[in-house]
Amino acid sequence: MTIAPERLRGSAPEGRAAQAASPTPRRRRNHRGRNAALVGFLFLLPSLLVFGYFAWWPIAQSIVLAFQQTNLVDPAEWVGLRNFEILFADPLLGRAALNTLWFTVLSLAIGLPVPLLCAVLMSELRRGGTLARVLAYLPVVVPPVVAVLLWKVFFNPGESGVVNSLLALVGLGPFPWLQSPELAMPSLVIVATWSGAGTAILIYLAALTGVSTELYEAAELDGASVWQRVLHITLPQMRGIILVLLLLQIIGAIQVFTEPYVMTDGGPANATVTILLMIYRYAFLFGNYGVATALSVLLALVLVLVSALYLRLTRSWSSR
Amino acid sequence: MHQRTRRALAGLVMGTLIAGTAACSASGGDAEGTGEAENVTITIMGKPAATNTAAVELFERQVAAFEEANPTITIEASDVPWDAKTFATRLAGGSAPTLLRVPLTEPPALIERGQVADITDVASELDSFDDLNPRVMQFLERDGAVYGIPEKSYAFGLVYNRTLFEEAGLDPDAPPQTWDEVREYAKQISDATGKTGFGEITTNNSGGWHLTGYDYTFGGRIIEQESDGTWVAAFNDDASRDVLELWKAMRWEDDSLGDNVLGKQEDLVAEFTAGNVGMWVSAPPDVYPNYVAAGGDPAAFGAGPMPQGGADATLAGATVLMVSAQATEAEKAAAVKWIDWRALRPNYDLEVAAETAKASAADGLPVGVPVAPIFSDEAYAAYRAAIEEYVNVPVENFAPYVESLTAFEYVPEPEVASQEIYAALDPLVQAILTDPNADIDALLDDAESRVNTILAQNAS
Repeated sequence: MTIAPERLRGSAPEGRAAQAASPTPRRRRNHRGRNAALVGFLFLLPSLLVFGYFAWWPIAQSIVLAFQQTNLVDPAEWVGLRNFEILFADPLLGRAALNTLWFTVLSLAIGLPVPLLCAVLMSELRRGGTLARVLAYLPVVVPPVVAVLLWKVFFNPGESGVVNSLLALVGLGPFPWLQSPELAMPSLVIVATWSGAGTAILIYLAALTGVSTELYEAAELDGASVWQRVLHITLPQMRGIILVLLLLQIIGAIQVFTEPYVMTDGGPANATVTILLMIYRYAFLFGNYGVATALSVLLALVLVLVSALYLRLTRSWSSR
Repeated sequence: MHQRTRRALAGLVMGTLIAGTAACSASGGDAEGTGEAENVTITIMGKPAATNTAAVELFERQVAAFEEANPTITIEASDVPWDAKTFATRLAGGSAPTLLRVPLTEPPALIERGQVADITDVASELDSFDDLNPRVMQFLERDGAVYGIPEKSYAFGLVYNRTLFEEAGLDPDAPPQTWDEVREYAKQISDATGKTGFGEITTNNSGGWHLTGYDYTFGGRIIEQESDGTWVAAFNDDASRDVLELWKAMRWEDDSLGDNVLGKQEDLVAEFTAGNVGMWVSAPPDVYPNYVAAGGDPAAFGAGPMPQGGADATLAGATVLMVSAQATEAEKAAAVKWIDWRALRPNYDLEVAAETAKASAADGLPVGVPVAPIFSDEAYAAYRAAIEEYVNVPVENFAPYVESLTAFEYVPEPEVASQEIYAALDPLVQAILTDPNADIDALLDDAESRVNTILAQNAS
């Protein structure tokens, strides 16, 4: 398709100026806008139907299943709130909720600053930036179960374990890592941070390129140190992306599953049982899909509430 | 953030979470009977793992011979082992195998949920049916109907490394008989060799499984049935306390259990094969083929009796074969024919037994591993005589285990909700082995209440 020269010349700034000057073109534009929206909607319709069938319909079915008992063979039977009663009678629920919260807190404490710090440092690199990015992203490419199993070997509690051998060089350890109810959860957080940090680093690096270099130059002229530049320019400029990643981190951490499932199976002594592990056990170990779905629905509700609360809070912070 | 973005985010959260456990509605299978001459294809479990090439070759030859003898039947075999976690979903999706190979803990629930077929008609016509061990068959029959056939049975025993025994100055032909001796030997092995004296497993329900087996040797039981038919936890007593005290002493006083106590059976098999573990409890005949296939030294493998705490009892279980409830009559008949071909005849029909043993020996597979028989003692003795010339396993290394099989009472695993109970007991075992200050009484109280909750939910 070719575009007439006059259309090319009628570029956006001129269009915007015309809109601001007169109300008539705006109405025409609104009319055109509605048509465009309708066309856009029609284009979107197939995707919406597919998404609706494969994503929203199972969600609706799941909510129904939370009030049913089924063995997936016979027709499901309505049991009212019984699934929720079973759930709240389970003493492990409180433990799992606390463990999940503990994992979330730890992963925010470790998992949030580490990638940010790495990204800021990497953006300051004069050479080798690409290599650093590849190295940082590499753990994300390793299949999660393989990575987790690898760490299980690293965390071998004996003196010959990889981590313990390294610590022995500086006179520390050996530590029982996954074998200790106190150390197991922090160990899992280290693994989760290692495997997830690459993505966050790339996002932060992309955001860092958007920070105006003029600000840095001005700060340098004023004699600001690197730390001052990071504190007063980089971080405020990246506040939006940090807040979004923080929310995603919270949601991801609350749904932690692979690490406790593969590395500890919830042990030792329930120290790493999480909500998702409980859902998994109810569904696939005990075959109680109703209770598993009931817990999923509860977790989803909590996450929606957490997200809503978080967004409300951060909106007020952002508007300060 | 914009409202639209928020909604999208909320949708994303809901989608990610709930879709994971979303269930599809099941479509009932049409199980109408069809003619005998009809061509049928059955999917079966039980093909050996691809890494065990010799066993796979033998299996494939058996399938080819079976299909030649039964031209209307086609076998599609899978080496994917039984997994309770995926079975129900596969059943609902119509992709569950026709022939299921499951541990003996599963049949009661499978029968209860109607997920397996009544195979009385075809099974009772088998030559060997009446000779099947009633101790196993009691779990496969309900109200006079037959739902499964045993493939092999096992009883807990002590697996030990004869080389490490010698290095520690212990007699490899005289494994320990009691738990006190086990403790003593384990410390001696740890002190002398620096290896793990006694290996223990605690995850994926194995902690509960072992606690159950050990508890039996002290005369305990995990659950018991009340006069009104309901089941309650029965393990909060001295028998369990003795087991837990023993573990605690070995872990924290003797330091003979090693550092790595958070693993499952496969982890310990690997460690044992590598020669890093002196003793552990398992089903010796089941462990041996994996041990040898992974490069373990046959001469170093020893099998002793289940150590005792005074009860002369051992936990016994089996691997059984069942047919999916979705199978047609023709598929059921074909599946039972295959069970007879692969699992029963090589252990019962003496001619076939000798042929199979010869072929296995030629492939370098272990032949003549002493087992807890699925048939009567007479039938088992005749089988042993028939395969004698092909036996390539150091049978004498199993002698202490074999002797114990006739001496002990065989106690089955918990009759209801066994896997759930094991899962509830895992944390108790893990607590003892990872926390030197673990309070045994408090842990037992806690586990008792958890198991009673499981049993109450199971009953209603």
